[in-house]
Amino acid sequence: MSQSWRKDSLYRDGSLNWGRLTLYAILIFVAIVWGTPFIWMFVTSIKPDNEVFRYPPTWWPNEPTLLFYTRLFESFPMMAWFRNSLIVAVITTTLTLVTNVLAGYPLARMRFRGRTIVLLIILSTFLLPGEILLVPLFLGMVKFKLANTFFSIAVPAAANAFGLFLMTQFFRTIPVELEEAGRLDGCSRLGLLWRIFIPLSGPAIATVAIFTFVRSWNDFFWPLVISNTDATRTVPVGLAIFVGAGLSIRFGVLMASAAAATIPAVIFFLMLQRYFVRGISTTGLRG
Amino acid sequence: MSSLAKTLDKPAEAGWASIRNDLIAYAFMAPYLFLFIVFLLLPAFVGVYASFTKWGIIGDPKWVGFRNYDKLINSELFLESLQNTLYFVILAAIPLIVLGFLLALLVNQKLRGRNIARAIVFLPHVVSVAAVGIVFQWILERSSGLLNYYLGLLGVNPPINWLGEPESAMPAIAITTIWWTVNGNMIIYLAGLQDIPEELYESARIDGASSWQLTRHITIPMLLPINAFVIPLTVIACWRVFGQVFVMTRGGPQGSTFTVAQFIYETAFVNFNMGVASAAGVILMLIPLSFTVVQLRAMKVI
Repeated sequence: MSQSWRKDSLYRDGSLNWGRLTLYAILIFVAIVWGTPFIWMFVTSIKPDNEVFRYPPTWWPNEPTLLFYTRLFESFPMMAWFRNSLIVAVITTTLTLVTNVLAGYPLARMRFRGRTIVLLIILSTFLLPGEILLVPLFLGMVKFKLANTFFSIAVPAAANAFGLFLMTQFFRTIPVELEEAGRLDGCSRLGLLWRIFIPLSGPAIATVAIFTFVRSWNDFFWPLVISNTDATRTVPVGLAIFVGAGLSIRFGVLMASAAAATIPAVIFFLMLQRYFVRGISTTGLRG
Repeated sequence: MSSLAKTLDKPAEAGWASIRNDLIAYAFMAPYLFLFIVFLLLPAFVGVYASFTKWGIIGDPKWVGFRNYDKLINSELFLESLQNTLYFVILAAIPLIVLGFLLALLVNQKLRGRNIARAIVFLPHVVSVAAVGIVFQWILERSSGLLNYYLGLLGVNPPINWLGEPESAMPAIAITTIWWTVNGNMIIYLAGLQDIPEELYESARIDGASSWQLTRHITIPMLLPINAFVIPLTVIACWRVFGQVFVMTRGGPQGSTFTVAQFIYETAFVNFNMGVASAAGVILMLIPLSFTVVQLRAMKVI
C-alpha cells in the first residue's frame, strides 16, 4: 500500500479504482432517490397553476409564484394548526424532560427495592403497540370531559419511556467521583442532580428534547382520535383530513401544505442533526 | 447492574436508613411513574379488559366473554385487514432491514460526501406522515407522477396506476414507508458498525483479506446481535401501519390496503364499537409479540 494513497481517493497506485467508482455511483444514486421527493414537493408548490401537470416534468417553474401558499392559508386555518402543534409539542417536551431527568437519576445511580422490576416494566412497554391504548385513553378523556383539549393530546405522549431510557443510560456515564465530592460537601440528592448531573448532561437532555419535540410535532393517530376542532387540531391531522381529503386534483395546494409543514422541520433538523443520530443510535428507537 | 450504584449506596444497613433511601428514590420517580401508570400501564390493562366487553362511547361496559374475538374471527373485513397487513409486513419489513443494513455499510465507507448522503437519507425522519403521504400521492400519480415518468423512460409502459389498482396499492404504500423510515435502521446499524474495533480489520488486512471477505467475516457477524432488536422493532412498526394508508388510500382501492390499525380506527372511532376494536387491538399486540418471542428464541437471546 503506497503512502500517498488516500482512502477516499478514486485512484489507487495510479490507476482508476473501479470498486470506489461504483460506490460513489451508488452513493449519488441514493442521495438522488432520497432527496428528490423534497425537491419535487417544493418545486411543485411554487409553480403556477398551468405548469403543475406539465409533462415531461419541469424542475424549475418559468414563473415561480407563492399563489398556492396564499390559497392554502386562505382556505385552511393553517396558522391555528401550527399554533396548536407548537403548544402540544412544548407541553409534551417540557413534561417529558422534567419527569425523565428526575426519574433517570435514581434508576441510574441509586439502589432501592424494586429497581429492577420498575426498569423491566418500563422497558417492556417498548414492545407494546400503542393501538391497545387508544380506546381506554379516548374513553377516559371523554369521561373526564378532557377530549379536544391540549391536555388530552399532549400529556399521554409524555408517558413514553424512550427519553427515560436515554437519560438513565447517560447518567450512568457520569463519573462517580464528582458525585462523591458533592456528597462530601453535604449536597442533597436533589442538589447533586441540579448541580452535577444536569449541567453535565446537556447533550443527552438536548437529544431527548429534540426527539420528543419532533415526535410530538408529527404524531398522528392519537391527535386524530382525540381532537376534532380547529381550536386544538394539529398540523398533521389538519393536513390529512382536510387538505388531503378528496382534493387529489389540487396537487399544487397539496404540495404547498406539505412544504409548509416540512420546511420548519427540515431547518430544525439541519441545525440539530447530531442529536437525532445520537438519539436513535443510543436507544434503537425511531422518534 | 451498575457497580457505581453499589459504591454509592451500600445495601441498607439499618432499617430506617434503607426505607428513607427507598422513599427518596421513589419520590424522584413519582412524577414519571404517575404519567406511566395513568397513561400507559392502566390503559393497557383496561384495553385488554375492554376486549371482553360490549362498550359504547357512553354507558358502562358489559362483560361478553370471548364474543368480540368470535366476531372478529368470523368477520371477513377483519380477516382481510389481517391478510393485508401481513402482506404489508412482508413487503416493507424485509427491505427496511436489508436496505437499512446496506445503506449503513455504504455511508460507513470512507467516501467524500458520505455525510451529506447520510443527512439526506435521514431527512424524511423529521417529516410527518401526513406530508409524506401527500407528497407520495403526487409522485405516484398515474398520468403526471414523477415515478411513472422515469419508469416510462426505462420502458415501463403503460404507466402503473399505483394507488388506483388493488395489485399495486400496497406495494406503493410499502415504497413510501421504506423511503420514510429506512433511516432509523440505517442509523442503528451504522452505530453498530462504528463500534467494531478497527484492529479486527487491520489484522485481517495484514493477512491479505479482501474487502468482501472483511464484510463477510467481520462486519456481518459483528452486527448480528443488533438484529435482535432491529428486526422486532421493524416488524412491530410495520404491523401498526396506519398513517400512510389513512392519508394515501383510506384503505382502498377495493379494500386492498385496509389494515388492522385502520380497522381499529373505524371500529372504535367511526362506529364506536369499543369492545370489538379493543379485541382487534389485543390481536394486533399479540401477533408481533409472538413473532418477537419466536425470533429471539431462534437467535438464543431468550
